[in-house]
Amino acid sequence: MYRIILTELIKIAAKPRSYIGLIAITVIVGLIHLAMFLDGLNYISFITNPLQMAFSLEGNILNGNLVCFIILQTLIIQIPLLVALVTGDLISGEAAMGTIRLIATRPISRSKIIMSKFIAGALYVFLLLLWLGLLSLGLGLLLFGPGDLIVLKSEELIIIQGTDTLWRFLSAFGVAYLSLLVVSTFSMALSCFADNSIGPIISTMAVIILFTIIGTMEIPFFDQIKPFLFTTHMVIWRNFFDNPLPVQQIINSLSILAAHVVLFLSVTLYMFNKKDILS
Amino acid sequence: MKNFLVIVIFLLFGLDGFAQQPDARIIIKGVNEKFAKVKDYQANARIDTRISFLKILPQKAIVYFKQPDKFRIKSTGIAILPKQQFDNLFSLLRKEDAYEAFVSGAEVIQGRPTVLLNIIPRADTSDLVLAKTWVDTKENLIMRSQLTTKSNGTVLIDYQYGKYSDYALPDQIKFTVEVKKFKIPKAVSADINSTASKVPPGKEPKTGNIIIDLKEYKINLGVADSYFK
Repeated sequence: MYRIILTELIKIAAKPRSYIGLIAITVIVGLIHLAMFLDGLNYISFITNPLQMAFSLEGNILNGNLVCFIILQTLIIQIPLLVALVTGDLISGEAAMGTIRLIATRPISRSKIIMSKFIAGALYVFLLLLWLGLLSLGLGLLLFGPGDLIVLKSEELIIIQGTDTLWRFLSAFGVAYLSLLVVSTFSMALSCFADNSIGPIISTMAVIILFTIIGTMEIPFFDQIKPFLFTTHMVIWRNFFDNPLPVQQIINSLSILAAHVVLFLSVTLYMFNKKDILS
Repeated sequence: MKNFLVIVIFLLFGLDGFAQQPDARIIIKGVNEKFAKVKDYQANARIDTRISFLKILPQKAIVYFKQPDKFRIKSTGIAILPKQQFDNLFSLLRKEDAYEAFVSGAEVIQGRPTVLLNIIPRADTSDLVLAKTWVDTKENLIMRSQLTTKSNGTVLIDYQYGKYSDYALPDQIKFTVEVKKFKIPKAVSADINSTASKVPPGKEPKTGNIIIDLKEYKINLGVADSYFK
């Protein structure tokens, strides 16, 4: 199993598209850091304007914790798309190249092939998030220093003490990882139905964009649909910055996300085992 | 005859009343003289913000002051303070030519008899519209003030004094400020999952409090100008 996973990792590493995510994260995070460094105070005063009309804020508002938080909420839509670029290609890419038949003739079960692809995809997602964490939080703290974190919500404002932020960021990255695994398994499941990479990648992106739009719009009809969309639970990482922590809500969303991973992986396993490989 | 008696009684007691009415200028002078004993000070502060839409733990800070009007709060983290800081009133009172002051009543505050002064700035361009101060004339201490400004509405400030009352320096200052509903677009906050406020419209708290506890004053020991930059 270890050798199959290693082979899958080498396949991911050999594809240029696998580096698009890393490069995109580097460029986006680098640009945000640069913009914050040059003109961050103006941006902060814009978003805290409703508060500064009545109160004055003392202390180091623009700090590494805030910049990391801004980066995380900016990349909320983009990162799943970057993940889908790689994981949506894991099965259909091999079908397009005609190598899937060759793999299926080897003395390993089809389930093991899928599991090795899933684990390799999960490791890729972990690497992507680790890179994001190092750049956003590590470099952010280096450039802007530590400090209290202002969490802006639509109807309230939470200020978390600087010493109380690290575990929240680590937990948020943990939840983000589970969320991205949902995207990863979803695109893999779609990948089972296609013989080319474009279809599953574009379909995954379309679903995420559609669900996110529904989640953002404040229309009563959509409020009934929102709990059933996995994108609604993907943003649960923000709840780690609530005070008090909405533990039940976090547990519910984590359970739903984990259930999605199991569901999509099961669909992938079932479909791939039943698949009539002709190409 | 009856009318004559009424006039005599009014003149006797009414004029006596006017004679006993304290002079606003003298009261303010007493307050200013007491505060003038403080050339500079430094104190440890604990800022506790209790505003409905704000979730923040009490914050530690150091307060610096130097006559005539240098004031600075340096907090270890982020602190929320009212726009009208607590040296504003003394800055105003010091400029005796800049306002009209008159006595408009008497009240008991924190068990102390106080005289209510109304202070109206002479300049139309001033942000301050009206200042009310409740002064303990025996100790020359401001016990409460209410500042109404064009830009920030009305703020009520209650002062509690302890062992630094000889310098008119309070142990606690409680600001009661007007608050409006805080709402920003979800697109700006990226707060996708938030639901509408559970508080029904019109039932939101109209005021909030910022309580500043001050202790360990270091008075007239010198404070470098660099602290105010």
